Amino acid sequence: MTELKIDQVARTFPARQGHAPTRALEPIDLNVRNNDFVTILGPSGCGKSTLLRIVAGLDRPTSGRVILDGQEVTGPGADRGMVFQSYTLFPWLSVRENIAFGLRERGVSEADRGKIADGFIDRVGLSGFENHWPKQLSGGMQQRTAIARALANDPKILLLDEPFGALDNQTRVLMQEMLLGIWERDQKTVLFVTHDIEEAIFLGSRVIVMSARPGRIKAEIAVDLPHPRSYKIKTTPEFVSLKERLVEEIRAEALKVAVHA
Amino acid sequence: MIRPLDPVTSRQRAAYGLAFFVLFVAVWAWATFGGYVSKTFLANPLTMLQEGWELLTTHGFLFDIGMTIWRVVGGFVLATIIAVPLGVLMGAYKPIEAFMEPFVSFARYLPASAFIPLLILWAGIGELQKLLVIFIGSVFQIILMVTVTVGNTRRDLVEAAYTLGAGDRGIINRVLLPSSAPEVAEILRLVLGWAWTYVIVAELIGSSSGIGHMITDSQALLNTGQIIFGIIVIGLIGLISDFLFKAFNAWLFPWKLA
Repeated sequence: MTELKIDQVARTFPARQGHAPTRALEPIDLNVRNNDFVTILGPSGCGKSTLLRIVAGLDRPTSGRVILDGQEVTGPGADRGMVFQSYTLFPWLSVRENIAFGLRERGVSEADRGKIADGFIDRVGLSGFENHWPKQLSGGMQQRTAIARALANDPKILLLDEPFGALDNQTRVLMQEMLLGIWERDQKTVLFVTHDIEEAIFLGSRVIVMSARPGRIKAEIAVDLPHPRSYKIKTTPEFVSLKERLVEEIRAEALKVAVHA
Repeated sequence: MIRPLDPVTSRQRAAYGLAFFVLFVAVWAWATFGGYVSKTFLANPLTMLQEGWELLTTHGFLFDIGMTIWRVVGGFVLATIIAVPLGVLMGAYKPIEAFMEPFVSFARYLPASAFIPLLILWAGIGELQKLLVIFIGSVFQIILMVTVTVGNTRRDLVEAAYTLGAGDRGIINRVLLPSSAPEVAEILRLVLGWAWTYVIVAELIGSSSGIGHMITDSQALLNTGQIIFGIIVIGLIGLISDFLFKAFNAWLFPWKLA
């Protein structure tokens, strides 16, 4: 059982010459239950990535703490798998070696590594590409490998930071379906950051809407759409009405950002 | 029409490259055979080849070439063994960098050739002195460039490795090293080229063998043909070692080219 508690986490970036300190996050409280799929939706620059990086342990909160299964997060670790927006596959490793990277770091035997990696290669639909270098893959394939790499470690929670943000629209939709399929089948606790409203609804069991900088939680909206979800759900009245509501929420925040920009 | 950044085929590239050599020799032949330059100052290409043949057949020039190559490679390998690990440490650990970098930057500007009198005093005129000249000329350059390369490792790759459970050792051995390796190999290729210039200088003074020694001897005899032949041999060896190094790097890092 996984339980993530974000307890009054705030982040202020220190002042740089001639600039005031930047308040990226106001104190934030958020609980994520076991096998929950929470999407965090917000305009760019709202601190949603900062929040995710703090959960990953790649950034430290200025105040507050993150608690995973009763243990305070003090740094990055294999129990929190992360998929980044930028392509972060190790270019010198093949697809299979990339997926097995975390297993290797944790001392899993070579035979087991291969078995586990092959299972995930199959699950993300990359059979036939296991010996390719990342450079030879399309953006979508690279992100599938990155998801497989994070999942192969069997983390308690999967953190995704706009993983499909750099992909074209068609690929993005396919990737969403693939990720959701994996989640529906295997169950996993997921925290997914995005600025794409449809993506947030389609994937999430809950959508957390964040305000423009300084980031805080503006609204929390439950997505009571049935599983398994297919792309067809996007045209149902329930989906559309959720979308309308979120469009309004986000629009108000985006306007604030635009005024300051 | 030549347009900016338009590529050339590999065949064209080879032809253009060769054409410059041909042009170079043609101008040289024109200047010398045409009598525009005195024989005392510049031998013509044919004389140069004759002198070169004589050097190789009767003066044992092959031995000199071997000695020079040995010195370059010896000093260079010594420098590499010391400099690469140090550069990796400095690139990875900022306090070590802060401690070493100012001194290494200072030492980098000390010309290796200026050390020759001192090194003769310390190490005599034997092989050790030659190796040390190459070593001093190369080691600081390699350290600094490797430091920068390792320090510039993509942060997102390092972060990805951390979230996959890598510790500090794993980060160094399985992220910093492999990601910097191709560039480190390029640095070594570059510095090896510089090492060649130091070795000749080292051999010009207090030496009884080597290409540089041959050049000094020929200078005393005003034999410009031999001098030019020696210089061309150095250029050719440089060209060959560069080519081998490139091919080796491409073989070592296929993921870079894929």
